Amino acid sequence: MSGPAKFRNNVKISERHGAGEWLTERVLLAALLPLGVWAASSAYTLAGASYEAVLAWFATPLNAALAAIAILVFLGFASLAWKVIIEDYVHKPGTKAALVVLLNLVCLVLAAASVFFIVRLALGSAPLPAGFGA
Amino acid sequence: MTHPNSTPGDARDDHTGRFVTQPNGHRTPLSPHMEVWRWHVTMTASILFRATIIAASGGVVLLVGWLAAAASGVDAFAAAGGFMGSPLGLIVGFGLTLVLFSFILNGGRHLINDTGSGLTLKAATTLSQIAVFGPVVLSVLFWIVLSVTGRVSL
Repeated sequence: MSGPAKFRNNVKISERHGAGEWLTERVLLAALLPLGVWAASSAYTLAGASYEAVLAWFATPLNAALAAIAILVFLGFASLAWKVIIEDYVHKPGTKAALVVLLNLVCLVLAAASVFFIVRLALGSAPLPAGFGA
Repeated sequence: MTHPNSTPGDARDDHTGRFVTQPNGHRTPLSPHMEVWRWHVTMTASILFRATIIAASGGVVLLVGWLAAAASGVDAFAAAGGFMGSPLGLIVGFGLTLVLFSFILNGGRHLINDTGSGLTLKAATTLSQIAVFGPVVLSVLFWIVLSVTGRVSL
């Protein structure tokens, strides 16, 4: 199935795949730690804020960009973390594969929706459903 | 000695109950499993991190809902704010800060341990205690500051 074992620094490296996902999960988690601190400070700023103050916050490009980045990085991390959870507890191959597909669909929908709403808030677009038949 | 193979180490005069006599007479350490492993804070931190990721995913769904409300005008935003100010909303909000601080502290512990550092008994215990109890302290402080500065009224 696979060739002779390959070694790097005397450590056997993964024969197929999986190590890449493991590493990606760690890199995303490392990025999420400072983003989490930023999220806590943003939550402090926005707690109890008026609608005008929230719109002004999103109109600042740095805030909108970091909000989108934080949510996208988290969803990328969560999709890998949930995949591990599914693989730990679901052992029927068909069910497992179906759940991973469903998981990625949910993550993609959440990612698209969050970027859509953040972009509208950042650009100061008219309140929804403006532009969608209203 | 009644055992066919005497087990090396401290198995024979062990009084901690961590060794069991197998059907074949061997004395072996108890396998580490959730129900037969003596509780230690490292186990709690490990389990809590998975729970934190699950809860944080729910939190992001709520966050996207709040973004949708904010993008849908002042009325929808006020409705979302009304829920967040209700008793249930405040409990959910406190839970979300708990999850956020858990994610940062427990995620930090996980990353440190992933590099192979902090795995001595003492270091692992300290890191796990920070990861388990730190978020509670930080969340309570966070909400005290929120109410003192008048951003949230209980």
